[in-house]
Amino acid sequence: MENGVAVRHKGVFTAEVLSNQQIRECYYRLNLVLDPIGSRFFEHVVPGQFLEIDLSGLSLPPERHIPAELRDIAARQVLLRRPFSFSDVVTTPTQDGPCVKLEIVYCVLGPATLRMMTLKSGDVLSLIGPLGNGFKIFQTLKLAVLIAGGMGAPPLLHLGGYLRRHFPAVETICFAGARSCEDLPFTLKIGNLTGLVVDEFDTLGVASQVATDDGSAGFKGFVTDCVRHWLENHTIKPEETMIFACGPEPMLAGAARLAADFGLACQVSMERMMACGIGLCQSCAIEVNKGKADETEYKLCCKDGPVFDSRNVIFQVQP
Amino acid sequence: MTEQIDLTVDFAGIMLANPVLTASGTCGYADELTEFMDVAGLGGVVTKSITLAPRKGNPTPRIVETDAGMLNAIGLANIGLERFVSEKIPVLQRLGTAVFVNVAGQMIEDYVAVAERLAQEKVVSGLELNISCPNVKQGGISFGTDPTLIREIIGAVKKVCGDKPLIVKLTPTVTDISATARAAVEAGADALSMVNTFTAMVIDIETRRPVLANRTGGLSGPAIKPIAVYLVNRVYQEVAKPAGIPILGGGGIRNATDAVEFMIAGASAVTIGTATFIQPNTALHIIDGIRQYCTRKGIRSVAELTGTLR
Ligand SMILES: Cc1cc2nc3c(=O)[nH]c(=O)nc-3n(C[C@H](O)[C@H](O)[C@H](O)COP(=O)(O)OP(=O)(O)OC[C@H]3O[C@@H](n4cnc5c(N)ncnc54)[C@H](O)[C@@H]3O)c2cc1C
Ligand SMILES: Cc1cc2nc3c(=O)[nH]c(=O)nc-3n(C[C@H](O)[C@H](O)[C@H](O)COP(=O)(O)O)c2cc1C
Ligand code: FES
Repeated sequence: MENGVAVRHKGVFTAEVLSNQQIRECYYRLNLVLDPIGSRFFEHVVPGQFLEIDLSGLSLPPERHIPAELRDIAARQVLLRRPFSFSDVVTTPTQDGPCVKLEIVYCVLGPATLRMMTLKSGDVLSLIGPLGNGFKIFQTLKLAVLIAGGMGAPPLLHLGGYLRRHFPAVETICFAGARSCEDLPFTLKIGNLTGLVVDEFDTLGVASQVATDDGSAGFKGFVTDCVRHWLENHTIKPEETMIFACGPEPMLAGAARLAADFGLACQVSMERMMACGIGLCQSCAIEVNKGKADETEYKLCCKDGPVFDSRNVIFQVQP
Repeated sequence: MTEQIDLTVDFAGIMLANPVLTASGTCGYADELTEFMDVAGLGGVVTKSITLAPRKGNPTPRIVETDAGMLNAIGLANIGLERFVSEKIPVLQRLGTAVFVNVAGQMIEDYVAVAERLAQEKVVSGLELNISCPNVKQGGISFGTDPTLIREIIGAVKKVCGDKPLIVKLTPTVTDISATARAAVEAGADALSMVNTFTAMVIDIETRRPVLANRTGGLSGPAIKPIAVYLVNRVYQEVAKPAGIPILGGGGIRNATDAVEFMIAGASAVTIGTATFIQPNTALHIIDGIRQYCTRKGIRSVAELTGTLR
């Protein structure tokens, strides 16, 4: 801080919508270009960080586009911003500094995300970011095991691309799971050697496998069981391996247990209801071990997280 | 050409640069805000409630959004007096704005201990006594709803405040707010702060459980504004004006129009809470808007606005 004015690395800025396309069922892909202020903030963003979007000014889509089960809650006004991760960040240098384009993959499940469906090219949004701490990549890393559950995919797509670009020597494999095929926010295709793979990861040059609870695509069962199976059949060096997981809390708890069983380090990206996203309100508490036996404390998901070392987290739900 | 408008207000003996403050619990310990705005432009900040011992707070979910508002049940999560003094006071000294520390507790002795320690800090302009947090079962609400307890606690805290003004934050969840306001003033409150959140509940009809882990929470945001304006006006007429003490008013303020409404109703200064979550620098926009309103209305000093309801 100098003369009371802090040098800022994050803050409020605007972004213009480039496109907003349906991927499948309730999943959409939103592409944004950030204004110069936002572009500067996002120049050094890392996978796992997030942003907050003000969606309160948007109107609802026509009633026929609102899924029947969401009609009642659609009527609720949107007041608070909503947190979103990004699945891709592309920085292009220009004469006037960097120009950053972001991709967000979102799932329509409530009043705010319903309104996002109406976004079209040229619309302008207010954003705050980049927020929180992303995934940490250690110099010793040789094998990255990504576990994406349902909506947990976006930051792992970003991570997959990031590892390819900046750590090409790191071998990366992604396991994508969901309840059933429709809940996977991806395009699937048949891989060359293996079974179903995720097109988006394949394009990045990242190997992938698919698991669904009901067996409608890929491995039948929990994605963590699919990973367990894979780990049992591969020789890995624990000190060179890291699990990166993002998805519903029971899956993260499962990933944490898996990591413990195989002696692997694991980073989990957590979610909490957030009123502010910037450390003001204490609404997003995550219970963590304090180091001393039996003592726990709350950390803030938005500020200390959303990525945590899985060994420290006290999960609210068991796998 | 804008005429120079005098935005300063004398709030219980403290000169504020302008009448807009950030509300307790919605701006952290104020240091977090510096990353998003020029805090020195504010009339002041009110910190998160500080208790004697650190408090972990409630399990999550701690918040839920409602129509035009939100419920919170944070459970007074805070780092405790000792860490606040050693870690946050030095930061607060650099903010360049008036700092009011919100004090909470479970027992009268807790309040006294915290107030006594903070009263020694030069950077602390005044204390805001939270006798109204609806979330802590043993203390909170029972202090704030019972005039006898209010007299007792304020009498005890007032003795240790030294020259720091004591602002008492009232709960709106009472049948007669003038009665609790009167008790606070008679016991020595230098100012009143109102309103805190309204106790409320949201139910998940699939699970038939309350959404918040704490079951109930406090409603804040635009939904409470008209009720808060009414309560400020009532307490202004019945208690504050006759006693000559100022009101720090708030509840659902989003813009300058809302803020001016509170001042007309009787507030000498206003607090911005939930709106900061949506736009971190809302308070600064509101200050600009108040200045414009004064210019438009030919009001030279913003302090003239207070209690001008016709
Ligand atoms: C760090 C972070 C990153 C996120 N990244 C993405 C993303 O990339 N893509 C995406 O589609 N969504 C993401 N989310 C979730 C997204 O914020 C919510 O889906 C969105 O707020 C829903 O708003 P709504 O008004 O449509 O629905 P709401 O009515 O607010 O919520 C619908 C349902 O989702 C649950 N929910 C909402 N927000 C959260 C939350 N923060 N944590 C846990 N449960 C929640 C609610 O309990 C409710 O059952 C992320 C959340 C966090 C905290
Ligand atoms: C998340 C949250 C946390 C709060 N924490 C406190 C607190 O610790 N102490 C307190 O006196 N008031 C607390 N409040 C109440 C606010 O200071 C304010 O009185 C109330 O929210 C009404 O104003 P608003 O509608 O502008 O938010 C809190 C409010 C919110 C939304
Ligand atoms: S969401 Fe407000 S502190 Fe994390």
